Amino acid sequence: MTTRLSDRATAEGRGRAGRVLLAEWTKFWSVPRWVMAMLAAIVLTVLMSVLSASGSGTDENAAIWDLYVPGPDGRPVQDSFHFVHQPASGDLTITAQVVSQEGRALDASTAEPEAGAMAGLVIKESTEAGSAYAAIVVTPGDGVRMDANFETVHTGSTEAAPRYLRLTRTGATITGFESADGTRWSEVGEVDVPELPDTIEVGMLVGSPDGVVVERQFGSTAVGQTSTISAAEFDNVSLEPGRTGFWRGNGIGLPGVGQFTEAQGRFTIAGSGDIAAYSGPGDDVVQLSLIGFIVGVVVVCAVGVLYVTTEYKHGMIRTSFTVSPQRGRVLATKAVVIAGVAFTVGLIAALISFQLGQPILRENGFAPPAFDTMSLSDPIVWRAITGSALLLALVAVLSLCIAVITRRSASAITLVIALTVLPLLAGFGLPAGPAGWLMRLTPAGGFALQRVVEPTEHLVDPVAMIAPLEGLVVLLAYAAGTLVLAGWLLNRRDA
Amino acid sequence: MTARLVVAEWTKLRTVPSTAWLALAVAASTVLLGALATASVDTSQCPSATECFEDTTKLALTGVWLSQSAVVVLATLTVTSEFGTRMIQTTFAVMPRRPAVMIAKAISVSIVVATAGAVGVLGSVAAGRIILPDNGFTIENGYEPLSFADGPTLRASAGTVLYLTLVALLSLGIGALIRDTAGAITVTLTVLYLFSIAAYLVSDPVWSDRLQTYSPMPAGLAVQATTNLDRLAVQPWAGIGVLAVYTGAAVAAGVAAVQLRDV
Repeated sequence: MTTRLSDRATAEGRGRAGRVLLAEWTKFWSVPRWVMAMLAAIVLTVLMSVLSASGSGTDENAAIWDLYVPGPDGRPVQDSFHFVHQPASGDLTITAQVVSQEGRALDASTAEPEAGAMAGLVIKESTEAGSAYAAIVVTPGDGVRMDANFETVHTGSTEAAPRYLRLTRTGATITGFESADGTRWSEVGEVDVPELPDTIEVGMLVGSPDGVVVERQFGSTAVGQTSTISAAEFDNVSLEPGRTGFWRGNGIGLPGVGQFTEAQGRFTIAGSGDIAAYSGPGDDVVQLSLIGFIVGVVVVCAVGVLYVTTEYKHGMIRTSFTVSPQRGRVLATKAVVIAGVAFTVGLIAALISFQLGQPILRENGFAPPAFDTMSLSDPIVWRAITGSALLLALVAVLSLCIAVITRRSASAITLVIALTVLPLLAGFGLPAGPAGWLMRLTPAGGFALQRVVEPTEHLVDPVAMIAPLEGLVVLLAYAAGTLVLAGWLLNRRDA
Repeated sequence: MTARLVVAEWTKLRTVPSTAWLALAVAASTVLLGALATASVDTSQCPSATECFEDTTKLALTGVWLSQSAVVVLATLTVTSEFGTRMIQTTFAVMPRRPAVMIAKAISVSIVVATAGAVGVLGSVAAGRIILPDNGFTIENGYEPLSFADGPTLRASAGTVLYLTLVALLSLGIGALIRDTAGAITVTLTVLYLFSIAAYLVSDPVWSDRLQTYSPMPAGLAVQATTNLDRLAVQPWAGIGVLAVYTGAAVAAGVAAVQLRDV
């Protein structure tokens, strides 16, 4: 008996929830203006995305081969360091102790080595930049690591110099070891480099990647690079089996800065440059095709606000609350309806913007090899597209809740626009640190959901400074916080 | 007659509680955001303290980016709230010369906005005087304390008040054209903010320059520049002229719409 009663109560509750949902949905779609506005949101978003894609351009691809060389697989790589080497054939083992490392910027006098400055051992196909290799290096900031063919394959300890390093070649397999004292060795890892011929160049390398300089001038932030040079001392150098021929020093790749001296088996090598795959200038090609969402957000905000304030204006809200006295449920239902509509609008707008924008961007220079070709077959593209839809949905909920709080369209719309759009603009004029915090503290950070490239402080776009997840968290916090406040106020205040 | 009209509009504006709150918001947000922006910039972010080339006056006046949104609300409501409550029928029944009513509204809202804006600008410059030297913008590094005795700073400050007034009149015109509060505010804020963002996001220098020159907000705010004028897309007075053209067009269209349409 009791079970049946509670069953019926649940069923009735569910039925009532369904009826409230139907009622709120009807209130939305039966207002032609709002339906038109949502359709306009799609059109305007796509239009602005396409226009801004047409206005964006880059000459990165024209400049790329001036600074980079083709790697073993043909893709652009940076391959520059100072190489002290000799030819050797067959299986071998090279050992050396990196005694010390120091560095400085080429144009300034900072004596701090770059965290990424490298000193270590390398087995390389030839002295030609871009040729295949395997290396083990120690760095002041990141410890010991093993690289092969422009990728890090193994990471070792986090110790800095002094450090003993060893590379062993057995056929195509290269194994790296490190040691603190030269007697107890631990294996860092092994890697196969099938491109290596029988006779290779083996020896010591020193390099120092460019430092990034973020400077403010003329009221805006500019990002530049500065060349650095690092010097390292090597001792206890041995090449097995039993031959130590004549060591020659060569600057590999650009800029070819560097030198070496040898005294009683102790080598001092200075070098500049980096060994790394080309990482691109950081522009997010996916985000660039979704710029129009700044218009979409404004339109969705206006509709989200009106969905509430219109009921207050016409006293309809009293009828709504008389029919369903649980005000919290009405608010939740409204939130579901507007979020669903905004999500759909966002999904459609993002898909069309992406599909139309990508070919335009490729035409304007955002093409391989500097930029990866992005298509709907990449899962990360879908993350940005659903992220854009989620952005609109959450802004819609935020607008709805702020409208319940203020009960005035004028102040609600202005508040939401000032919170979600203005920080983007303000962020351009601020230094990177405060701009990043502005994104972490305002719902404008939600635009980071549209990005697929790692966050960086080296772009002027403030949204580029935070991760998509951080953006989602701040936007969710605003939507949830205002939802709770709105629900509380609804129950406290008269309708 | 006109004087009485202005008094009537002034009474309407003065007796609505939102006017005082919005005027306060204009002044307060100008000072607050200006102080925050000023505090976030210091000479250590530059290659050297003497090579910042920072426009400290412009920095101190950053607050108008936010406070103009309160101006938009205030000015839009002077027109749209009357349409919303049908008060406009009474107004036009009493005073059939509709353009005169619009001019009276424009005068009274301009007085409120200019006063609130002036208070905000004074506060911002005062805040800048206090904050800037602590952040390395000292006399030794080539930065005189902000002062109205400095010609460009005076022009930037007066220009900022003028900018806010023109934004108010732009909102008034768009409000008369659209008549709906939500719609008018959305359109005005879109016109102001979105074109400015687009100017930053478009990487093509020609288009970026065009957007800086012909968008109402970036063009109008060129009046705040006191140094590095050769780097501007549009010169200070020419820029505020661009905004004035938009404002003039919006007011003319708004007045024409009010004159031609039934209420």
